[in-house]
Amino acid sequence: MTDQATPRRDWLGTLQRKNVLAGLMFMSVALLGLFLSRNYPLGTILRMGTGYVPRLLCWVLLALGAAVTLVGALGADDRFSEDGSPWRSLLFVPLSLICFALTAESLGLVIASASLVIVGALAGRHMRIVEVAVTAVVLSAVCVAIFIWGLALPIAIWPEW
Amino acid sequence: MDLFNNIILGFSVAGTPINLGFALIGCLVGTLIGVLPGIGPVATVAMLLPLTFYLEPVSGLIMLAGIFYGAQYGGSTTAILVNLPGETSSVVTCIDGHQMARQGRAGAALAVAALGSFFAGTVSTLLIALFSPPLAKVGQSFGAPEYFSLMVLGLISAVVLAHGSVVKAVAMMVFGLLLGLVGTDGNTGGQRFTFGLITLADGIGFVPVAVGVFGVGEIIANLMAPEEKRSIVMEKISNLWPTMAEFHQAWPAVIRGTALGSILGVLPGGGATLSSFAAYVFEKKIAKDPSRFGRGAIEGVAGPESANNAGAQTSFIPMLTLGIPGNAVMALMIGALTIHGIQPGPQVMTERPTLFWGMVASMWIGNLMLVIINLPLIGIWVQLLKVPYRLLYLAILLFCAIGVYSVNNNAFEVVLTAMFGVLGYIFLKLDCEPAPMLLGFILGPMMEENLRRAMRISSGDPMIFINRPISLGLLIAAALLLIIVALPGVRSKREEAFQEN
Repeated sequence: MTDQATPRRDWLGTLQRKNVLAGLMFMSVALLGLFLSRNYPLGTILRMGTGYVPRLLCWVLLALGAAVTLVGALGADDRFSEDGSPWRSLLFVPLSLICFALTAESLGLVIASASLVIVGALAGRHMRIVEVAVTAVVLSAVCVAIFIWGLALPIAIWPEW
Repeated sequence: MDLFNNIILGFSVAGTPINLGFALIGCLVGTLIGVLPGIGPVATVAMLLPLTFYLEPVSGLIMLAGIFYGAQYGGSTTAILVNLPGETSSVVTCIDGHQMARQGRAGAALAVAALGSFFAGTVSTLLIALFSPPLAKVGQSFGAPEYFSLMVLGLISAVVLAHGSVVKAVAMMVFGLLLGLVGTDGNTGGQRFTFGLITLADGIGFVPVAVGVFGVGEIIANLMAPEEKRSIVMEKISNLWPTMAEFHQAWPAVIRGTALGSILGVLPGGGATLSSFAAYVFEKKIAKDPSRFGRGAIEGVAGPESANNAGAQTSFIPMLTLGIPGNAVMALMIGALTIHGIQPGPQVMTERPTLFWGMVASMWIGNLMLVIINLPLIGIWVQLLKVPYRLLYLAILLFCAIGVYSVNNNAFEVVLTAMFGVLGYIFLKLDCEPAPMLLGFILGPMMEENLRRAMRISSGDPMIFINRPISLGLLIAAALLLIIVALPGVRSKREEAFQEN
């Protein structure tokens, strides 16, 4: 193998490499796919069943994932640089969309838009409360104007009591 | 003359007030997102796709096409004035374009970029009109095995032309193929990977995937990066016209860029970004004095800007004639066609000539509009850059949410978008190019269908792909591409082309 001279490799460091992580990601997707499709009928090459192509692709992805992992572990160190705390935007951006999804149907477009803006604003670092409030009002109004009055999308504006 | 009649037909469709209006909207939106960094044509087209439900198919496609090539124009504006590429296809324009602006030649750089793009747009529109009919004829003789092999070639080229590691790009493509299979199997009726959810029985919509990975993922990543200072060079845009000497330097580069971009655009996996990078490298290679590059060489603006527009437009050729998307935007266009119940493929041109030729004619009209939108109105677009990103991303996020929601009035798809946004961020962080994934996702079901048909034709003999000459040729081409890209010399060149910055 590559480095017999340094017996103790930095396992945690290796694990943080981009290629290693990417490879592991592909492998876990493939394994999940293989697990989920374990009962799908395979069929024959002439009459392919539900599981034929998906299982084939999962095996291919598993092999590719292993290759990427191996290349990453043996190749150059490509750990990604830390840039601040990723958790803020990684948490609040998706959460704002989920808020929209939860409120759009029952509470109407205005409340859904406003809640997306407010929760989404938490993802940024330099937010002022007044600014967020104004943005929420303005954007909600713009969206009602464009999407409901302009394009006549079938979405309620206000909650239906 | 057939071509002549077809072009007349096209202009009669594209010239109606309503279609002119949608071309203008498309061009305006395209310029807008081109100017604004942080949102690209893929996410925008995906976001606006649902709105085309309510339009005639021609009008919808005209608008979406306008967004794509309009973004190429707008991207150059910010690249030149602010040294900030509005689009990835304008990254190389920053190098010399912004230097020119600093030297007080911003007007000349902008004019050359716009006029070069217009020239490229005109030529590539003509190329589409000339080459699509014969290509569609070839396509009509294709059976299931040929289609399968063609899709293999398309996917392989997308992989070869992606950034970074080839193995990773192949893995992303397979991942996309798998995602495309989620839902009910059309042949057996069996459920796949649906977790028992009814909303997943119809499969994962491509709008949540595209908006999530290309739009939301980008926002998450942008928010982590420190906000850059934008220094706008505004002093000397009074003189828009290049001098005679500049004009003489620029026009050969425009022609070279147009030629290069037109060829690279047709290749599956090609398109605007690749074309502009390649054109810049090419201009630098053949220049008598390469040291001028990076210090305001006008060829460094003229070549790439013409190339990205030519590439953006010729990438419509495989989509329109064969139904094979060459890049992510074209994949969304395929989606737009299917939304309207139009089966993409070679028959579109013969069965719906008004759709095809109307769209082609609208591209030329749109390019003309863009010159007007960009040159005199440049001040307005630059003002838009003063909107800080901390407000901009909220607006983008909200439009994404509404766009996705309005596809099926299904709140679950917005949740899916959030999930794919996280995935898109992970891809960005791990240097996994998402474009092959989206292509695989769109092509997955089509490939499986054609594979099954091919196996039925051949009674289960996989040799059918090799026994049919056209299919064999396509597969050989795919294999050659993979071999070429694996060669060490080509590999380093490829890295170089992508990292010219």
